[in-house]
Amino acid sequence: MLPLRELRRRPSRFIVATVVLSFLATLLLFLGGLLDGLYLGSTGAIRAQPGDVIVFSSGARDSFLRSRITADLRADVESADGVDAVGGVGFVLLGAKVPTKAELADVTVAGYELPPKGVPPPPKDYQGTADSSLKDQGVGLGDTILVGPAESPITIIGFVDDTSFLQQGAVWVNLPTWRAVQNANRPDSAVADDVVQTLVVKGSVVKGSVVKGSVVKGVADGRSLSEVIDAATANATSTLTVDEAVLALPGVKQQGQTFDQIIYSTFVVVLAVVGLFFSLLTIERIGLYGVLKAIGASTPRLFAGVVMQAVIVAIIAFLIGSLLAIGAAFALPAKVPLQLIPSRFIFTFAGLLLAAVLGSAVSLRRVTRVDPASAIGSAS
Amino acid sequence: MFLALTEMRRAKVRFGLLAGAVGLLVFLILFQQALLSGLINQFIGAIKNQSGQVLVFNDQARRNLDGSIILPAQQAAITKVDGVETASPLGQGTFTVTAVNDNETETDAVLFGYVIGQPGAPTSLVEGRLVEAADEAVASEKDRDAGFDIGDVVRIEPGGASITIVGVARDINYSVQPVLFVEFGTFEAAKRTRNPDAAAIFPSVIAIKVAAGRSAADVARRINEQVDGVEALTRQEAVDGSPGVSSVRTSFTVILGLFYLVVPLVTGLFFLIVTFQKASALTLLRAIGAPARSLVWSLLVQVVVVMTIGSLVAFGLYSVAIQGVSNLGVHVEVMPAVVTSLVVLALALVTSLVAVRRVLRIDPLLATTGAGVAL
Repeated sequence: MLPLRELRRRPSRFIVATVVLSFLATLLLFLGGLLDGLYLGSTGAIRAQPGDVIVFSSGARDSFLRSRITADLRADVESADGVDAVGGVGFVLLGAKVPTKAELADVTVAGYELPPKGVPPPPKDYQGTADSSLKDQGVGLGDTILVGPAESPITIIGFVDDTSFLQQGAVWVNLPTWRAVQNANRPDSAVADDVVQTLVVKGSVVKGSVVKGSVVKGVADGRSLSEVIDAATANATSTLTVDEAVLALPGVKQQGQTFDQIIYSTFVVVLAVVGLFFSLLTIERIGLYGVLKAIGASTPRLFAGVVMQAVIVAIIAFLIGSLLAIGAAFALPAKVPLQLIPSRFIFTFAGLLLAAVLGSAVSLRRVTRVDPASAIGSAS
Repeated sequence: MFLALTEMRRAKVRFGLLAGAVGLLVFLILFQQALLSGLINQFIGAIKNQSGQVLVFNDQARRNLDGSIILPAQQAAITKVDGVETASPLGQGTFTVTAVNDNETETDAVLFGYVIGQPGAPTSLVEGRLVEAADEAVASEKDRDAGFDIGDVVRIEPGGASITIVGVARDINYSVQPVLFVEFGTFEAAKRTRNPDAAAIFPSVIAIKVAAGRSAADVARRINEQVDGVEALTRQEAVDGSPGVSSVRTSFTVILGLFYLVVPLVTGLFFLIVTFQKASALTLLRAIGAPARSLVWSLLVQVVVVMTIGSLVAFGLYSVAIQGVSNLGVHVEVMPAVVTSLVVLALALVTSLVAVRRVLRIDPLLATTGAGVAL
C-alpha cells in the first residue's frame, strides 16, 4: 500500500496538516462540549420529567419560576380527556451551606409528586435526593444542607444523575418541603398550600401522530394532549410537550443556534484546510503520479490513496484533538460548563472524516489530469 | 513584488483556498468577539449602568440578583456603616408584560425598582427623562421598536399597572431581556400583581452612595466586616462576578485563543510548504543574481496579500452574520475588525519567518549541480 508506506516513511510531510487539524478538532470538541454543558446543565431536571406534557399558567410565558397552578386549575386539567396522571412541580434557586465547606453550593430545590427519571418517590419532609453534580460542591450522603437565607435544612438521602436546572444541581424534595423552603426564603414568591408552579401530565396518547405533541386516544378530532388540556382550562393554561418546555427555558434555543453556527463554520474551515494541504501535496507529487500512471496505476486508485491519507490524517488529528480537549476539560475551572460526552466525540469524528474526504476531493482534478506520457524523460 | 503577484495569479486555487480559510477563521474570531461583548452587555448592562457605587447582596445569593433578598434588619445595619452616605433599596424581577403600543404583544421584561433621587437610577439616559412618579419607566434603548419607546405603555400581567415609558437609556438590558427602571413602589405593586400570595416584598440588593472622600472598595469592605449575611461589592465587582459572566469570559477566551493560534499556524505552514516546493526555482533565481532580499520580500508580500484578502472576506461575512444577532445589541464596528486583522497579520508574519529562514539559507551554487536541489 503506497499511501500508507508514504505516511510511514515521510511522516514529516503530513505533520503540518495533522497539527492544524488537531487544533481544529480540539476547537470543535471544546465548542461542542460547551454547548452540551450549557444544554445538559440547564435542562436535566425537565428532561427527566416522567410525563408527556407540562402545563404552565397562561400568563407565565412558559417560565417555570413565574407559573402558578391553583387547585381549581389542577382539577380542570385532571378532568380533561386522555389525562391519566397529574403531578405538581415547583423549583426555587438558592444558595446552600454545605457541612465542612466554606463556599456555598448553588442548588435548585425541586418539589415533585411524579418521580422524575432515576428519582425515588417523594421522600419525607426535609429530606431530598441530590443531583450528583452537587458532589463536586462538597455535598455528601447523609449531609444536612442549609438552604437559602432562612437556612432551611434538607438532609440528603441519595443521588441522581443529570437533573440540573439552569446550571444548578437539583435537590428533589416533596411538595410541602418545596413550599416551605420557597415561602421561607422567597417571601415575595410565596405560594399557598395547594399551589404548584407547573403540572406534569401523563396521558393516553398515540405518540408522534401530530407535530405539537401526541394525539389523545379516543378523541375523534385528533387534537393533541396539549390542546385538549388547554381547552379544558379555557386557555388559562399553556401546555407544552417536554421537548418544547426544554426549549422554552431561557437561552437554551439561542445558545444552541449560536454555537451550531460557529461549529458548522469551523467544519467549513476544516474542509478548506484539508483541501489546501492535500492540493499542495498533490502538486508536489505530480511527477510521481505520472510515473505510477505510466506503469499502469489507475486514476481511481491514485485518488483513493489521497483520500486514504486524508482520512488517516483526520483520524490522528481527532485523537490528538480529543486528548487536548480532555486535558483542557480537566485544567479549566469547574465554573466553565464544559461537558465532553460520547455523542459529541462521535459527531466531531464523523464531521472530520467527511471534511477530510470532501477536502481531499479538491485534488481529484489534478490527479485526473496527470498524463502518463509526462513520465517519459522526466526525472522527478 | 511582480513575481509574488504573478505567482498568486497563476495559482489562484491554492492561494484562494488559503485566503478563504483565513477569511473564515478571522470571521469566527470577529463574530465571537462581538458575541462576547454583546452577551456580557446584555447580561449585566443594568448593573453596570446604574448609579449605586456599591451593591449589597445577601451572601446566600452568590452575587445573583435573582437569588438575593435583603432583610429589613440588614438594611438598617448597612445604613449605619461608616462611609455610607445613602443606602437605598433596589429590587429586580422578571415579569410578563404586554407592550400595548406593539400590537398588544405579550413579552418578558425585567423591572428594576429604585427610590427616586436615590442610588440605583439608570446612568446612561439618551433621551427623555428619569422617572418622577409611580407607573413611569426608563426603558432600554435597544427595545424601542418592540413597544418600549418614549410615550409607549407597558402593562404588567396579569391585569396589573400600566407603565408609561418616559425615557430611554443605553445598555441597560439584563439577562438579554428588555429592562424597565421604575420607582420602587411600582416594582412592589408588580410583584404583588404577579403573585398575590406574596408575604412580603424585600429589595434584591441595597444600592449605596459612598460619602465624599471614601472609596467604594473601602466602604464595601467595611460593610462585609460589620454586617452579617451580606456581600457588598463595588459596581465593577458586581458586574464581573455576575453569574455567567466570568464563565462566559473564560470559555470565550479559550475558544478565541485557539482561533488566534490556528490562523498563523495555517498561514505559516502553508508558506513553508510552498517554499519547499519552489526550492529549485528559488535556487535558480538566486544563481542568476536575484538578491535574497527580493525573494523574502516576495514571500512577505504574499503573506500580506493573503491576509488582507482573508480579512476582507471575514469582514464581509461578519457584517452579514452580525444582523443575525442584532437582538444582542451588537453592531458592525470597523475598529475592532481592523485591530483583529492587524493582530492576525502580525502573527502570520511571525510564523512566516520559518519560511523566510529557509529562503535565506538557499545556496545559489546548488543550481549548478542539477536536480535534487533542497532547502
